[in-house]
Amino acid sequence: MNATEQAFIQLLNQHQKIIHKVCNLYLHGQTDKEDLFQEITLQAWKAYTQFRGEAKFSTWLYRVALNTAITYFRKDKKQAFIASVADLPEMAHSIERDPIEEKSKAMYAAIANLSKIDKAIVMLYLEDYSYAEISDVIGITANNIAVKMNRIKVKLREATLKNFETV
Amino acid sequence: MELDDLKGFINQELIKDSPEMSEHNIANLLKGKAVSVISKIKKSLWFEIICCILVAIGFIYIALFTNRDSIKIYFGFFGAAFIPFTWVFFYLLKKIKEFDNSVLPVKENLKQLVQVLEEFTKRYFQFNMALLPICFLFAFVLGYNEKAPVNELDKLQALFKNHETIYLALIIAYTAVMFFALIYMTKWYIKKLYGNYISQLKLLLTELKDE
Repeated sequence: MNATEQAFIQLLNQHQKIIHKVCNLYLHGQTDKEDLFQEITLQAWKAYTQFRGEAKFSTWLYRVALNTAITYFRKDKKQAFIASVADLPEMAHSIERDPIEEKSKAMYAAIANLSKIDKAIVMLYLEDYSYAEISDVIGITANNIAVKMNRIKVKLREATLKNFETV
Repeated sequence: MELDDLKGFINQELIKDSPEMSEHNIANLLKGKAVSVISKIKKSLWFEIICCILVAIGFIYIALFTNRDSIKIYFGFFGAAFIPFTWVFFYLLKKIKEFDNSVLPVKENLKQLVQVLEEFTKRYFQFNMALLPICFLFAFVLGYNEKAPVNELDKLQALFKNHETIYLALIIAYTAVMFFALIYMTKWYIKKLYGNYISQLKLLLTELKDE
């Protein structure tokens, strides 16, 4: 293993949560998630020679991971994976219901059902990226991101309420 | 309840049950093979390049060593035609490799991916279609004027000895059916391989239009 490979592996190891988050948000099945994890790792490794350190490694990795996840289509497999909060394993069997936790899970289910692009925006927003930083990753203006984010929030509020009521 | 109130919970949920990878695991992942559409196209291009080289060598060999003039012209022409095709495939491969190693913003990445796929499918279709009329025309003209006996054609011609017009009409009809069937099949094959994927990518791009 050469020095570049060693440095890359160390960096990826430190930031692997980013890839796990993207895999969990975009795919459901464990095998699919593992396949996507490997694909993102390989794409990052291929592009690593071009990484000049101008952006933070985490932002660069988000770009690679989101580009890979967004253009990753599995044949004959459904992309949407959580139809309602009731599909979440713990929720199906919970006897004592904590409304806050249920609402949180209802929100999570709502995010999981967003479009691929909206998911990417929400993911970066959840990481406390500014609209300007999100705009750098997504490639549309910060104003556009703000407009989209407002719409997503409304969409999520409505979907969360609907998911919460169906439990 | 708003998204902002639940940031912490959702961030936790997104990494829940994710197995922690060791450096050794990551090193092993790097030995794997990519399954992206770009990797698929690169494999496809390498296959086309190898085929083109083999066909060019084979056809030129036949052209050099055959005694029939029609075969000499036919195979010689096609053998030579595959040389620029190989060059174009190499050019496409270079462009795809450049794209594959870059890390662009999501919108630009989608745009370029669509461009690369459309360019590839367009060239692929053009190459197949460009050969068809030349192929049929050559086969028709050279076969018709061939001085040396061709048993199968001679037998067929004997059947229509006094009906040359019907014989010609049959050959033209056969050629037309083959021609259009090949166009349809090639279009269908390309759409099956990449068409639906391109449509899905374009749909994602429409979501990123300026508002």
